[in-house]
Amino acid sequence: MKTYLAIIAMDIKLALRLRAVIFFNYLFPLIFFFTFATLLHRTPEQLAFVVTMSITLGVLGSGFFGSGIRAIQERELNILRRYKVTPITPVPILVGSMFTGWIIFIPYILVLLLLAHFLYQMQLPAHMVQLLVFISLGLIAFRSLGLVIASVANTMQEGTIIVQLFYFPMLLLSGATVPESDFKGVMQIVHNFVPATYLVKGMNSMMLGHGSLFQKDNWLSALALIITTVVGSTVATKLFRWEKEEKIRSSAKWWVVVALLPFLVMGLWVWLRH
Amino acid sequence: MSAEPVIQVQSLQKSYGKVEAVKGIDFQVGQGEVFGLLGPNGAGKTSTIEILEGLRPRTSGEATVLGFDPDRQKQQLKDRIGVCLQATNLPAKIRVQEALELFGSFYSRSLSSEQLLNRLQLWEKRAAYYETLSGGQKQRLALALALVNDPQLLFLDEPTTGLDPQIRLEIHKLIEEMKGENRTVVLTTHYIEEAERLCDRVAIIDEGKIVAMGTPRELQQKSRMQSRIDIVTAQVLNGNALPQWPDALENSLAEDGRSLTVYSSRPARTLFEIMKWLDHQSLQLEDVHLKRPTLEDVFVELTGKKLRD
Repeated sequence: MKTYLAIIAMDIKLALRLRAVIFFNYLFPLIFFFTFATLLHRTPEQLAFVVTMSITLGVLGSGFFGSGIRAIQERELNILRRYKVTPITPVPILVGSMFTGWIIFIPYILVLLLLAHFLYQMQLPAHMVQLLVFISLGLIAFRSLGLVIASVANTMQEGTIIVQLFYFPMLLLSGATVPESDFKGVMQIVHNFVPATYLVKGMNSMMLGHGSLFQKDNWLSALALIITTVVGSTVATKLFRWEKEEKIRSSAKWWVVVALLPFLVMGLWVWLRH
Repeated sequence: MSAEPVIQVQSLQKSYGKVEAVKGIDFQVGQGEVFGLLGPNGAGKTSTIEILEGLRPRTSGEATVLGFDPDRQKQQLKDRIGVCLQATNLPAKIRVQEALELFGSFYSRSLSSEQLLNRLQLWEKRAAYYETLSGGQKQRLALALALVNDPQLLFLDEPTTGLDPQIRLEIHKLIEEMKGENRTVVLTTHYIEEAERLCDRVAIIDEGKIVAMGTPRELQQKSRMQSRIDIVTAQVLNGNALPQWPDALENSLAEDGRSLTVYSSRPARTLFEIMKWLDHQSLQLEDVHLKRPTLEDVFVELTGKKLRD
């Protein structure tokens, strides 16, 4: 336990000492929020859309860049190599990464919801704690996906390409930046297979409709996020590499798809249901 | 060497695909010994050391370190040893004391960070970020991290490579202190003088094989190369009147007629005879030097390579 606590405490300190972390976790999404909230706060739906967009931006950024790219960086800089000679396993390092991301992100969500409430008169969700739990599940699921990408990418260049391949489609096709109502035909089908869609739908339902986490669609989304976390963390632990010299086979990249399997099932289920 | 070796290696072999990096080597290291692995780049010394640290699996052969099998008991072994690797880093924004406390938390026992900071002369730098440290300070911190669990066995993989001579001397002093505390040290190095100064025994490793092993002095004595005696006299010598001294193989007189060089297979005896001769001839001795073959000479003789090839 002392190892876990020491790693988490250190990770938090290190994260808060980096200007990039402060900028991308707090300032950048807040700038985004203020800009769009000022432009689009005419209806509660529009404001909820802006809040959801700002949170999704943060969740995906934290998952793919804060978790994935940072893990690759630590391997490329030979930092993990120093840990390798100690008796610790990859588990505390991965747990530390996920927990730190959560600790750093939760204040941002609270600040965002309070700003939306006090500055733009957005009604606070009826089930605030459940919403925070749901967002936390999303954050941890996407951080575990980031760690899977880090574990299958052999170089920073490769990792950046894989991250971009996931980050932008998720941002654009999940309903976070382009409203779901704009997706027609094939785009609607694709939308249902995008993992971030379930995060966005769940948040919208809990913020706008004041739905609870235990409504059917929401708990199914939560379940998919939990399964992704479990599968993603297991894959990331199994494929964890301490040194940049330890290369992984190209075929191992399919593990990312395995980690995304719950959302493929969800997409299929929604598609068949309609 | 004590009765129970700290490290025992038998027929150790390591292959990477078709490349055989370590070709069946045997050695033992005793408690309190500083054991050096000398060899050029790619000789197999880092592979050997990393197998013993539990970082890489061996292909075949036997290895026991502190009674543990490095392949099967990695965690227990890592808890008991200290390691200073080549080319490692810490996060840029970690402070020196924080790094020691963080790494200390990974072990079942650890020394206090204050104790280590004082010992490694890092107290003044305890609040400094890692990114602001000089190369020597980073290396001292690497050694402090290797000592954080108070290990009885340390692996130091080229601990002074790339450091300036002053810092190298400081690191040498630290290694001598570790030796004074009866810790066992396995050291790989490119620097011959480092091995000569610090190691009780060295193994010269080339192309995956140990080509010679013993104390630096034993290796020097095994060399087929001769020692060289340089003498300078106050008076000019007659080159045609020089006697054949016992065990002297060759001699040459410089143009000034005063500087004489004699090669000998038994330099102490030859030198004694030269002194007697000078005295008998009433010649005044101004300077004398005896140069034995260095470990570098032995290395070149055995491997046909320079150590830094």
